[in-house]
Amino acid sequence: MARSTVAIGFLGTTLDVGTGPDRWERWRPTVSLCQQDDLLVSRLELLHPSSAKSLAKGVAADIAAVSPETAVRRHAIDIDDPWDFESVYSALDDFARGYDFKTDVEDYLVHISTGTHVAQICLFLLTESRRFPARLVQTAPRAKTTSPQGDVRIIDLDLSRYDRIAARFERERRDNVSTLKSGIATGNVEFNRLVGEIEHVATGSTDPILLMGPTGAGKSQLAKRIADLKRQRHQCDGAFVEVNCATLRGDGAMSTLFGHKKGSFTGAASDRPGLLRSADGGVLFLDEIGELGLDEQAMLLRALEEKRFLPLGADAEVTSRFQLIAGTNRDLALRVAEGRFREDLFARINLWTFRLPALRERPEDIEPNVDFELDRFADRSQRVVRFSREARDRYLAFARSAAATWSGNFRDLSASITRLATLAAGGRISVDDVDREIERLERSWRRTEADPPTSGPALAALLSPDDLAAIDRFDRMQLESVIEVCRSCRTISDAGRELYQASRLKRREANDADRLRKYLARFGLDWSRVTAASARR
Amino acid sequence: MPPLHINGSTGEGGGQMLRSSLALSMALGVPFRITGIRANREKPGLMRQHLTALQAAIAISSARAEGTAVGSREVTFAPGPVRGGSYRFAVGTAGSVTLVLQAILPALLVADEPSEVVIEGGTHARSAPTFEFLQHALVPLLARLGGAIDVRLEKHGFYPAGGGRVAVSVSPAATMSPLMIERRGEVRSTRAVSIVSKLPFDVARRELEAVRSRLGWSFDTRNARVVDDAPCPGNALLLYIESEGGTDIFGVIGERQKSSERVAAEACAEVESYLESDAPIGPHLADQLMVPCAIAAAKGAGESSFVTQPLSSHSTTNSEIVAAFLGRAPTIESRGAKSVRWSIR
Repeated sequence: MARSTVAIGFLGTTLDVGTGPDRWERWRPTVSLCQQDDLLVSRLELLHPSSAKSLAKGVAADIAAVSPETAVRRHAIDIDDPWDFESVYSALDDFARGYDFKTDVEDYLVHISTGTHVAQICLFLLTESRRFPARLVQTAPRAKTTSPQGDVRIIDLDLSRYDRIAARFERERRDNVSTLKSGIATGNVEFNRLVGEIEHVATGSTDPILLMGPTGAGKSQLAKRIADLKRQRHQCDGAFVEVNCATLRGDGAMSTLFGHKKGSFTGAASDRPGLLRSADGGVLFLDEIGELGLDEQAMLLRALEEKRFLPLGADAEVTSRFQLIAGTNRDLALRVAEGRFREDLFARINLWTFRLPALRERPEDIEPNVDFELDRFADRSQRVVRFSREARDRYLAFARSAAATWSGNFRDLSASITRLATLAAGGRISVDDVDREIERLERSWRRTEADPPTSGPALAALLSPDDLAAIDRFDRMQLESVIEVCRSCRTISDAGRELYQASRLKRREANDADRLRKYLARFGLDWSRVTAASARR
Repeated sequence: MPPLHINGSTGEGGGQMLRSSLALSMALGVPFRITGIRANREKPGLMRQHLTALQAAIAISSARAEGTAVGSREVTFAPGPVRGGSYRFAVGTAGSVTLVLQAILPALLVADEPSEVVIEGGTHARSAPTFEFLQHALVPLLARLGGAIDVRLEKHGFYPAGGGRVAVSVSPAATMSPLMIERRGEVRSTRAVSIVSKLPFDVARRELEAVRSRLGWSFDTRNARVVDDAPCPGNALLLYIESEGGTDIFGVIGERQKSSERVAAEACAEVESYLESDAPIGPHLADQLMVPCAIAAAKGAGESSFVTQPLSSHSTTNSEIVAAFLGRAPTIESRGAKSVRWSIR
């Protein structure tokens, strides 16, 4: 069974008019639509004001003459002011909602050559948004003849059907993808597919984006690029605001994120807008979101859902519309199961989740990233440095080998290239330079891998491996002992007395508890966490 | 039986190739597949009026068909037995009633029962035979092949409103006879008729005046026929030539922005060309006769032949369709520069 074509359109209360025989000599858009040699309209849904009922009937009769195959259904639709956007849109939307579209057997055409310009605009919008699952159809008198038949043009708003437009989009998409990749011509199929998806989401959605992946995989860089892309596309005009949640611990976290009113707590000497306010109209990148405290999580959820929140000490909520990008190297689902991450917040940000691969999973991309880092070094230091051919081959061979674990991912690569470039004599990286650098890298990776056991069970339970890796061994050993002492004491004051037993005697005021609290805060820890972890064990 | 393949992209007149194929297919019970329909046109594929002819053919022969949509480039058609009876068809966009008949009339002539067919649409349409041509030139010759046909104009229909109506009664032929028209003989009478609908009478007078000055055909007010049954304005100029060999009619449809004098000049040029040759059958009549003659030959009537003016590319294509369905080509012999003899056995 062939599909049939159904046209929907307004009666042209001026152009479709005519009663005498000479009406056949004039172009009348609605009649012309049904009069085409190569277009068979099986049914016409003719919308008209009740006042034009007799004209509608006349046009229907004329269509019956020129097109016996066309059934005309008249619909009296009264719009108070056909030039008022809201009225016309509502009337047409009501019609569309009430209409039984049978898209499996019928093709729909929305006729836009009749009705007011406002009606045209509304029909366009409703068709573009697929309220009318249709293509547009335009009728026009034929140039240079007086043929009443005229011409029709069907306009499909599905832009992907037009080759030249599609090519344009493709070009733009390639530019977008290139922006996201910082212009690095990456070859890893998995990564490129991922960036393609991110491009799609970044340009088409304002929902939160969650970037997962190990430290140094480029989450922060990618978040910046997404913000750049959104700015290019005029989808945001605000700032890119970035914060690592692991650094937001204790009393300051709330205020840093959500702001405070002057005097809301000791030390709140002036108003502070907070990062969420600063990101209004822009992009907020919360790295290590898994480290956010539960109170902050609750407030963030409200800010995401309501676009409003209450700064500390304020009596009125403030609003902020920002695009959230969250980063994490943890398994957030596990944090939810442990009760350390709110399930509702997780659900809210776990919509567009992308896992960035580790550098060792992208051996193809090492070379372009090496070049990128060299260029960056040249920009930074105004010094162009190149590998010798042999040195380059040796470095790349090592970098792609199983021996290279790249545990710090791009952070390691960037540091490695910076070292090589800085140490290179005469702007040329030699084989010897590379050999020494390979030794350095291997040593550092051996250490990181060997480290966790030496850091002791207390620290391993409190801090993530990445956080641990960022702490000097010197500090780690000290911290491990401090925690042991804390856990053997009843209160923070007891622990302070024990730990500062010598220096406290030389001080006029001995606030050991405060010293200890500040020491712990340096590592993102506090008394209750340190001791609670011990209780759970 | 695998369907006969007709390549619609070669030759002239995509619409006529389809209509001739339909008529031959139904009358001979041969299925066909036509591809590349109107392939080289600006708007390729089936137009609405072709679709109407196709649907009429499906209706009278209970055919199975594929590709029955506007714009279709390929049609497959497998007819059942042609059934007489009562039919009513309507042609949109003032498409021609006579063109629909071109597809179904030859088949109805060989049906099992008589038919009453009413077709609504254009009776005087551009690029199509006029009703008068059908009635006075073609039908008398078809009757000589066998059977009886009566056509009546109930209402005139012009472009663009249409609204015309033609009723046709067909009594099928028990056996078919050959047709043989070799000589025109003496011209017995000539006559010009101008039909005007909802237009000033002057349109008719100027056309008739122009015919008189060019061909010397006299006229009086009876030669102008004012009709009032069509919904829209329209005009047709018909030039009749009745000779010993039969009647032929040359018609031109008046259009907006085309002067009465232009209409008359076009019709007169056709007449002059006809009269320059000694052929009894004009080019349009030849085009309409080929398929019925071929059907008669296929039904055992023996050889039919007629002498006509040199074949247009349109007629050559039509001859090729006939050859495809019959499995033998018509013979086309030159009779000097101005006429050819077309025959099929």
